[in-house]
Amino acid sequence: MAKVAQEMVKRAGVNLDELIELLVTNAAAELTTYYYYTILRANLIGLQGEALKEIAEVARIEDRNHFEALVPRIYELGGKLPEKMNDFHDCSACPPASLPADPTDVQAILKVLVEAERCAVRGYTHVCNVTAGKDHRTYDLALSILHEEVEHESWFSEFLGEGPSGHLMRRGETSPFVGKFLR
Amino acid sequence: MRRFTPTELAQHHGQDGAPAYIACAGCVYDVSDSFLWRRGRHQARHCAGADLTAALEEAPHGPDLLARVSQVGLLVPPEGATDRSPAP
Repeated sequence: MAKVAQEMVKRAGVNLDELIELLVTNAAAELTTYYYYTILRANLIGLQGEALKEIAEVARIEDRNHFEALVPRIYELGGKLPEKMNDFHDCSACPPASLPADPTDVQAILKVLVEAERCAVRGYTHVCNVTAGKDHRTYDLALSILHEEVEHESWFSEFLGEGPSGHLMRRGETSPFVGKFLR
Repeated sequence: MRRFTPTELAQHHGQDGAPAYIACAGCVYDVSDSFLWRRGRHQARHCAGADLTAALEEAPHGPDLLARVSQVGLLVPPEGATDRSPAP
Protein backbone atom coordinates (compact mmCIF):
# COMPACT_ATOMS: atom_id res chain seq x y z
CA MET A 1 0.00 0.00 0.00
CA ALA A 2 1.39 3.42 -0.94
CA LYS A 3 0.57 4.64 2.55
CA VAL A 4 2.74 7.72 2.61
CA ALA A 5 1.80 8.62 -0.96
CA GLN A 6 -1.86 8.62 0.10
CA GLU A 7 -1.09 10.53 3.28
CA MET A 8 0.65 13.30 1.36
CA VAL A 9 -2.40 13.80 -0.81
CA LYS A 10 -4.78 13.89 2.14
CA ARG A 11 -2.55 16.25 4.10
CA ALA A 12 -2.56 18.63 1.16
CA GLY A 13 -6.33 18.88 1.54
CA VAL A 14 -7.48 16.72 -1.34
CA ASN A 15 -10.62 14.70 -0.77
CA LEU A 16 -9.17 11.29 -1.56
CA ASP A 17 -12.50 9.51 -2.09
CA GLU A 18 -13.60 12.20 -4.50
CA LEU A 19 -10.32 12.07 -6.39
CA ILE A 20 -10.44 8.29 -6.67
CA GLU A 21 -13.98 8.48 -8.01
CA LEU A 22 -12.90 11.05 -10.58
CA LEU A 23 -10.01 8.85 -11.71
CA VAL A 24 -12.18 5.72 -11.90
CA THR A 25 -14.94 7.44 -13.88
CA ASN A 26 -12.42 8.99 -16.24
CA ALA A 27 -10.65 5.65 -16.65
CA ALA A 28 -14.04 4.18 -17.52
CA ALA A 29 -14.55 6.93 -20.08
CA GLU A 30 -11.20 6.07 -21.67
CA LEU A 31 -11.82 2.35 -21.95
CA THR A 32 -15.38 2.76 -23.21
CA THR A 33 -14.19 5.38 -25.69
CA TYR A 34 -11.56 2.92 -26.91
CA TYR A 35 -14.36 0.42 -27.52
CA TYR A 36 -16.77 2.83 -29.19
CA TYR A 37 -14.03 4.38 -31.30
CA THR A 38 -13.30 0.89 -32.62
CA ILE A 39 -16.81 0.79 -34.02
CA LEU A 40 -16.60 4.33 -35.35
CA ARG A 41 -13.30 3.65 -37.04
CA ALA A 42 -14.69 0.50 -38.67
CA ASN A 43 -17.46 2.63 -40.19
CA LEU A 44 -15.18 5.36 -41.55
CA ILE A 45 -15.36 4.09 -45.10
CA GLY A 46 -15.36 5.70 -48.53
CA LEU A 47 -13.20 8.63 -49.58
CA GLN A 48 -14.32 10.84 -46.71
CA GLY A 49 -13.95 8.09 -44.17
CA GLU A 50 -10.50 7.13 -45.37
CA ALA A 51 -9.25 10.66 -44.68
CA LEU A 52 -10.24 10.26 -41.05
CA LYS A 53 -9.35 6.66 -40.44
CA GLU A 54 -5.77 7.18 -39.33
CA ILE A 55 -6.48 10.08 -37.03
CA ALA A 56 -9.39 8.25 -35.43
CA GLU A 57 -7.10 5.28 -34.89
CA VAL A 58 -4.44 7.39 -33.18
CA ALA A 59 -7.04 8.89 -30.86
CA ARG A 60 -8.42 5.43 -30.15
CA ILE A 61 -5.06 3.96 -29.17
CA GLU A 62 -4.07 6.99 -27.13
CA ASP A 63 -7.34 6.83 -25.18
CA ARG A 64 -6.61 3.19 -24.41
CA ASN A 65 -3.17 4.27 -23.22
CA HIS A 66 -4.84 6.82 -20.96
CA PHE A 67 -6.78 4.01 -19.32
CA GLU A 68 -3.57 2.04 -18.83
CA ALA A 69 -1.85 5.05 -17.29
CA LEU A 70 -4.70 5.83 -14.90
CA VAL A 71 -5.14 2.38 -13.41
CA PRO A 72 -1.89 2.23 -11.37
CA ARG A 73 -2.58 5.65 -9.88
CA ILE A 74 -6.08 4.57 -8.82
CA TYR A 75 -4.61 1.68 -6.88
CA GLU A 76 -1.74 3.77 -5.51
CA LEU A 77 -4.31 6.07 -3.96
CA GLY A 78 -6.14 3.16 -2.37
CA GLY A 79 -8.92 2.87 -4.92
CA LYS A 80 -9.92 0.05 -7.23
CA LEU A 81 -11.80 -0.69 -10.41
CA PRO A 82 -15.36 -2.06 -10.14
CA GLU A 83 -15.41 -5.84 -10.07
CA LYS A 84 -17.94 -6.04 -12.90
CA MET A 85 -17.16 -4.54 -16.26
CA ASN A 86 -20.80 -3.56 -16.72
CA ASP A 87 -20.55 -1.35 -13.66
CA PHE A 88 -17.32 0.13 -14.94
CA HIS A 89 -18.94 0.98 -18.26
CA ASP A 90 -21.93 2.55 -16.56
CA CYS A 91 -19.87 4.84 -14.33
CA SER A 92 -18.09 6.49 -17.26
CA ALA A 93 -17.50 10.22 -16.90
CA CYS A 94 -18.51 10.76 -20.53
CA PRO A 95 -21.43 9.59 -22.65
CA PRO A 96 -20.83 6.65 -24.99
CA ALA A 97 -19.35 7.71 -28.33
CA SER A 98 -22.03 5.76 -30.12
CA LEU A 99 -22.27 5.25 -33.86
CA PRO A 100 -24.72 7.79 -35.35
CA ALA A 101 -28.07 6.62 -36.71
CA ASP A 102 -26.68 6.93 -40.22
CA PRO A 103 -23.31 5.16 -40.08
CA THR A 104 -22.37 6.49 -43.53
CA ASP A 105 -22.62 10.10 -42.32
CA VAL A 106 -18.97 10.97 -41.76
CA GLN A 107 -19.82 14.46 -40.51
CA ALA A 108 -22.04 12.94 -37.86
CA ILE A 109 -19.26 10.56 -36.84
CA LEU A 110 -16.90 13.54 -36.58
CA LYS A 111 -19.33 15.30 -34.28
CA VAL A 112 -19.47 12.25 -32.02
CA LEU A 113 -15.69 12.15 -31.96
CA VAL A 114 -15.22 15.83 -31.18
CA GLU A 115 -17.85 15.78 -28.43
CA ALA A 116 -16.16 12.81 -26.81
CA GLU A 117 -12.86 14.65 -26.79
CA ARG A 118 -14.45 17.81 -25.42
CA CYS A 119 -15.92 15.85 -22.53
CA ALA A 120 -12.45 14.47 -21.83
CA VAL A 121 -10.84 17.91 -21.97
CA ARG A 122 -13.31 19.21 -19.39
CA GLY A 123 -12.85 16.12 -17.24
CA TYR A 124 -9.08 16.29 -17.05
CA THR A 125 -9.10 20.05 -16.63
CA HIS A 126 -11.22 19.42 -13.56
CA VAL A 127 -8.79 16.78 -12.23
CA CYS A 128 -5.90 19.18 -12.81
CA ASN A 129 -7.77 21.92 -10.96
CA VAL A 130 -8.42 19.59 -8.02
CA THR A 131 -4.83 18.36 -7.78
CA ALA A 132 -2.72 21.36 -8.82
CA GLY A 133 -0.17 22.16 -6.17
CA LYS A 134 -1.49 19.36 -3.95
CA ASP A 135 -1.16 15.94 -5.56
CA HIS A 136 1.81 16.36 -7.84
CA ARG A 137 1.78 12.85 -9.27
CA THR A 138 -1.89 12.80 -10.21
CA TYR A 139 -1.57 16.33 -11.54
CA ASP A 140 1.32 15.28 -13.77
CA LEU A 141 -0.69 12.32 -15.03
CA ALA A 142 -3.89 14.31 -15.60
CA LEU A 143 -1.99 17.10 -17.34
CA SER A 144 -0.23 14.64 -19.63
CA ILE A 145 -3.56 13.10 -20.60
CA LEU A 146 -5.08 16.56 -21.01
CA HIS A 147 -2.35 17.51 -23.51
CA GLU A 148 -3.30 14.57 -25.71
CA GLU A 149 -7.05 15.12 -25.35
CA VAL A 150 -6.66 18.74 -26.40
CA GLU A 151 -4.83 17.57 -29.49
CA HIS A 152 -7.56 15.04 -30.24
CA GLU A 153 -10.21 17.74 -29.98
CA SER A 154 -8.17 20.00 -32.23
CA TRP A 155 -7.82 17.37 -34.93
CA PHE A 156 -11.51 16.57 -35.09
CA SER A 157 -12.50 20.22 -34.80
CA GLU A 158 -10.37 21.09 -37.81
CA PHE A 159 -11.86 18.26 -39.83
CA LEU A 160 -15.27 19.75 -39.05
CA GLY A 161 -14.04 23.02 -40.48
CA GLU A 162 -14.46 24.90 -37.22
CA GLY A 163 -11.29 26.86 -37.83
CA PRO A 164 -7.54 26.42 -37.34
CA SER A 165 -6.56 24.92 -34.02
CA GLY A 166 -2.80 25.17 -34.30
CA HIS A 167 -2.04 21.49 -34.50
CA LEU A 168 -0.43 19.33 -37.13
CA MET A 169 -0.80 15.62 -37.62
CA ARG A 170 0.96 13.63 -34.92
CA ARG A 171 4.29 12.32 -36.11
CA GLY A 172 6.34 9.72 -34.35
CA GLU A 173 5.09 7.42 -31.61
CA THR A 174 1.65 7.64 -30.10
CA SER A 175 1.14 9.10 -26.63
CA PRO A 176 4.04 11.55 -26.64
CA PHE A 177 2.92 12.93 -23.25
CA VAL A 178 1.42 9.88 -21.55
CA GLY A 179 4.09 7.47 -22.79
CA LYS A 180 6.27 8.04 -19.73
CA PHE A 181 3.56 6.44 -17.56
CA LEU A 182 3.40 3.32 -19.69
CA ARG A 183 6.83 1.84 -19.03
CA MET B 1 -42.82 29.56 -14.61
CA ARG B 2 -42.69 27.57 -11.39
CA ARG B 3 -40.84 29.10 -8.45
CA PHE B 4 -38.68 26.97 -6.18
CA THR B 5 -37.42 27.82 -2.72
CA PRO B 6 -34.08 26.27 -1.75
CA THR B 7 -35.96 23.74 0.36
CA GLU B 8 -38.14 22.71 -2.55
CA LEU B 9 -35.13 22.56 -4.84
CA ALA B 10 -33.33 20.28 -2.36
CA GLN B 11 -36.10 17.71 -2.77
CA HIS B 12 -35.17 17.30 -6.41
CA HIS B 13 -31.91 15.55 -5.69
CA GLY B 14 -32.09 12.81 -8.31
CA GLN B 15 -32.09 9.99 -5.76
CA ASP B 16 -34.75 7.31 -5.15
CA GLY B 17 -36.69 8.26 -8.24
CA ALA B 18 -36.79 11.99 -7.57
CA PRO B 19 -36.01 14.23 -10.53
CA ALA B 20 -32.65 15.97 -10.56
CA TYR B 21 -32.82 19.75 -10.63
CA ILE B 22 -30.03 22.28 -10.27
CA ALA B 23 -30.10 26.05 -9.95
CA CYS B 24 -27.80 28.56 -11.52
CA ALA B 25 -28.13 32.34 -11.63
CA GLY B 26 -31.67 32.19 -10.37
CA CYS B 27 -32.88 29.64 -12.89
CA VAL B 28 -33.77 26.03 -12.15
CA TYR B 29 -32.86 23.34 -14.66
CA ASP B 30 -33.91 19.73 -15.05
CA VAL B 31 -30.82 17.57 -15.47
CA SER B 32 -32.59 14.26 -14.86
CA ASP B 33 -31.92 13.04 -18.38
CA SER B 34 -28.35 14.31 -18.57
CA PHE B 35 -25.70 11.59 -18.78
CA LEU B 36 -23.42 13.81 -16.72
CA TRP B 37 -25.93 13.99 -13.87
CA ARG B 38 -26.74 10.34 -13.36
CA ARG B 39 -27.97 9.51 -9.86
CA GLY B 40 -28.04 13.24 -9.18
CA ARG B 41 -24.27 13.65 -9.03
CA HIS B 42 -21.77 15.43 -11.21
CA GLN B 43 -17.99 15.03 -11.30
CA ALA B 44 -17.92 13.28 -7.90
CA ARG B 45 -18.47 16.62 -6.22
CA HIS B 46 -21.78 18.29 -7.04
CA CYS B 47 -25.21 17.10 -6.05
CA ALA B 48 -28.52 17.92 -7.63
CA GLY B 49 -31.01 19.83 -5.55
CA ALA B 50 -28.60 22.69 -4.99
CA ASP B 51 -27.76 26.16 -6.22
CA LEU B 52 -24.52 25.75 -8.16
CA THR B 53 -24.01 29.36 -9.22
CA ALA B 54 -20.80 29.71 -7.24
CA ALA B 55 -19.56 26.27 -8.23
CA LEU B 56 -19.94 27.12 -11.91
CA GLU B 57 -17.29 29.81 -11.55
CA GLU B 58 -14.71 27.12 -10.77
CA ALA B 59 -15.97 24.63 -13.34
CA PRO B 60 -14.02 23.72 -16.48
CA HIS B 61 -17.00 24.87 -18.53
CA GLY B 62 -19.26 27.85 -18.71
CA PRO B 63 -23.02 28.32 -18.40
CA ASP B 64 -23.37 27.64 -22.12
CA LEU B 65 -23.70 23.94 -21.38
CA LEU B 66 -26.95 24.69 -19.55
CA ALA B 67 -28.48 25.26 -22.96
CA ARG B 68 -28.47 21.46 -23.31
CA VAL B 69 -31.03 21.04 -20.53
CA SER B 70 -34.47 22.52 -20.01
CA GLN B 71 -35.28 25.29 -17.58
CA VAL B 72 -38.16 24.33 -15.34
CA GLY B 73 -38.42 27.28 -13.01
CA LEU B 74 -36.88 30.07 -11.01
CA LEU B 75 -35.11 29.93 -7.68
CA VAL B 76 -36.61 32.26 -5.11
CA PRO B 77 -35.56 32.97 -1.53
CA PRO B 78 -37.34 31.17 1.29
CA GLU B 79 -40.55 32.80 2.48
CA GLY B 80 -39.83 35.84 4.57
CA ALA B 81 -36.34 36.37 3.18
CA THR B 82 -35.35 39.33 1.01
CA ASP B 83 -35.68 38.57 -2.69
CA ARG B 84 -32.19 39.10 -4.14
CA SER B 85 -32.68 36.89 -7.16
CA PRO B 86 -32.18 38.46 -10.58
CA ALA B 87 -35.33 39.61 -12.32
CA PRO B 88 -36.66 36.97 -14.75
